[in-house]
Amino acid sequence: MKGKRLLYLLLGLGAVAALAFIPGGAKEEFMVAAEFDLEPIITLPSIGPVDLSVNKAVIYLWLATIIIIIVAVIVARSLKLTPGRFQYAIEALYELARDGIVGSVMKSGKAAWFPYVGAVFFFVLVNNLIGLLPLPLGEHHQPSFYAATANLFVTVTLALFTFVFTHYAGIRKNGAVRYFKNWAPSSAPPVLKQVIFVIHAVSEVFRLISLSVRLFANMLAGHAILGVFFAMALIFQSYLAALILQGGSVLIYLFEIFVAVIQAFIFAILSAVYIGGALDQDH
Amino acid sequence: MNDAAAKLLGAGLAMGLGAIGPGVGLGIMIGKALESIARQPEVSGDVRTNMFIGIGVTEAVALYAFVVALILIFVA
Repeated sequence: MKGKRLLYLLLGLGAVAALAFIPGGAKEEFMVAAEFDLEPIITLPSIGPVDLSVNKAVIYLWLATIIIIIVAVIVARSLKLTPGRFQYAIEALYELARDGIVGSVMKSGKAAWFPYVGAVFFFVLVNNLIGLLPLPLGEHHQPSFYAATANLFVTVTLALFTFVFTHYAGIRKNGAVRYFKNWAPSSAPPVLKQVIFVIHAVSEVFRLISLSVRLFANMLAGHAILGVFFAMALIFQSYLAALILQGGSVLIYLFEIFVAVIQAFIFAILSAVYIGGALDQDH
Repeated sequence: MNDAAAKLLGAGLAMGLGAIGPGVGLGIMIGKALESIARQPEVSGDVRTNMFIGIGVTEAVALYAFVVALILIFVA
């Protein structure tokens, strides 16, 4: 039994070693950056400065929207008292959004702001996860990795929603004068108050930038590393290197699933923290 | 040194040096969070939530370096 296992191990190692001597296929040009080019797939006329053409990112956004709507409708139509596997999984995610994100960081306005934070969580989560499916949307309809959230314009739009809702929530609850007054602590001397007010205003803008760039750069970096691993297999022209690199790309792929979930969680929880901070100002 | 070489060198340096600070910071933060969970397992839920918020904020610094590196290679 043990001898047989050793034989299989040696055979396997021999096969791997033999791969090193087989010359690989022809070298192909592969630019990782080209994976992120947004060529219009359906060209539409532009209205003023707004280009209405449909590209990869738009198709991924549509796909995410359709998936969320279909899953939500299926689960809502067939709610059971003893949940099946599918319903249980969706309920666990819903509870994570309600108790883990909104419930744990917001003090007041939980019921009012859960719909927004939960919707952002599910939208970003589904967008990140379907970004790991290669769809035939590349050049010449080759399968290519792309995530809508690996596009700065998509994430800036999402972050702008949070930015606008934060100040809307704060002004509606506290009144405009009291809301902006609370940006500086009331106990500070008047001159210092103005300085603190300006610093706070700058930090509000930086929240917008960091919220959008964090999600964008995470997804872009993950997809770029996956692309580099696939590209190196082509460049080295050796089946042995390709085998090792494919093994590495599987590990990175698994890590990217983790990153996709974590980034959706962080985006939603920071949105909840910002909105909660505007509702219950502490100074 | 020609322009292209300087761009690539700058991009590599930006990413590498930019990852030092957030790496140290993340290590300290996650280590402290694990320490406090080990001391008080009953507050692990709260600690984990706050740890993720901290991770998000710290990690953004490294990602700025990544964006700067990309700008150096493709835009500058």
